[in-house]
Amino acid sequence: MPAETHVERSPMDRQQVFDLIRDRLSDILEVEPSTIHEGDSFTDDLDADSLALIELAEALEEELGERSVGFRIEDEDLEDIKTVRDAVDYVLARL
Amino acid sequence: MGGDNAPGAIVDGAHQAVAELGVPVVLVGRPDDLDALRGDLEVIAASQVIEMDADPGSSVRTMKDSSLVRAAEAVRDGKASAMVSAGNTGATMASALLRMGRIKGVSRPAIATPIPVPGSTPTVLLDAGANAECQPGWLVQFAQMGAVFARERYGIDEPRVGLLSIGEESTKGSPLVKETHKLLAQPGVLDRAGGRFLGNVEGRDIMTADVDVVVTDGFTGNVALKTLEGGMKALVKAVLDGLATTDVADRAFQSLLPLYATLDPDQTGGAMLLGVDGVCIISHGSSSATAIVNAARVAREMVDADLVGHLRAAVSTA
Repeated sequence: MPAETHVERSPMDRQQVFDLIRDRLSDILEVEPSTIHEGDSFTDDLDADSLALIELAEALEEELGERSVGFRIEDEDLEDIKTVRDAVDYVLARL
Repeated sequence: MGGDNAPGAIVDGAHQAVAELGVPVVLVGRPDDLDALRGDLEVIAASQVIEMDADPGSSVRTMKDSSLVRAAEAVRDGKASAMVSAGNTGATMASALLRMGRIKGVSRPAIATPIPVPGSTPTVLLDAGANAECQPGWLVQFAQMGAVFARERYGIDEPRVGLLSIGEESTKGSPLVKETHKLLAQPGVLDRAGGRFLGNVEGRDIMTADVDVVVTDGFTGNVALKTLEGGMKALVKAVLDGLATTDVADRAFQSLLPLYATLDPDQTGGAMLLGVDGVCIISHGSSSATAIVNAARVAREMVDADLVGHLRAAVSTA
């Protein structure tokens, strides 16, 4: 029997990705998860600065790297991720 | 290993810290750079150095084998009790934040810089540059963390906390200052930190014994810090130049030496990054070996005092 190299997991759906991003953002920004919505702008609605977005990117890479080997959010792409919805779309496209 | 005088002065300071303080020191950097200098000191290998002018966030993300990132990981993983850096300040903060993490409940870490006060304990100025734009709730947490730091670092029973503004009246200042004043003036806000809110203070109060902690946003704090540094340098130079041509110069220089030592930034032990889940000392870029010894001393004291534990207990979500 070949050694087990990875665990098969079912693909994440949109709601699961949103839940993950909301929970990580909630930890980083010290706000209640219920106050974070998909249409929120990181800067205008959530007061997230560039360092907070980098924290989010690192947290998602750590979490999703186990599920999708090599998952990475490129720094240049971070500039285009303006809303929570943008982040969900970005993650879904790369899983 | 970063810093204007790295690796020579930094490694010299590490050796002195071991000899004078008995503090075990681990160097983090390129082995090729350190092998000739390290002596008996252990080295954690890191192949990259984040330059002083590099963008903090992206460099920490892309240079995962940098000395700053490896040093923060060493603290996170329990291989070191604290980190001391004379490198890129922003990248030091980003490394500590991303690898050590924040203390639960802390919105943003802040840089607490001791400002020397002749004849008294230093005034703790924070934020000295970590967060250019702040919210009132963050400043409340800076006040709480600053009070804890002043208590643990300088043994002040009830640190007096001032909010930096352009007048003592609560109606003076920017919207940020006025809103923060309202929050800090509420009863009990600083109780768990053991501090007492004085109200607004002005820039001229920072180097006096009238206040122990001065709270402001990172932009204003950094401007205030650099203004004081520049002013002190100019004043010292003017005094020395003026005395040099007099017949009392020798006696005057001897009398001024203790004051000069008080104002010497190498003696302060560096700034402290408050709010991350570990002890992180930020020394200035041109740190000498003496500055590194003092930073190591403060790092040990803050680890021994369980500063992080006290911060965790004191900070409330505002």
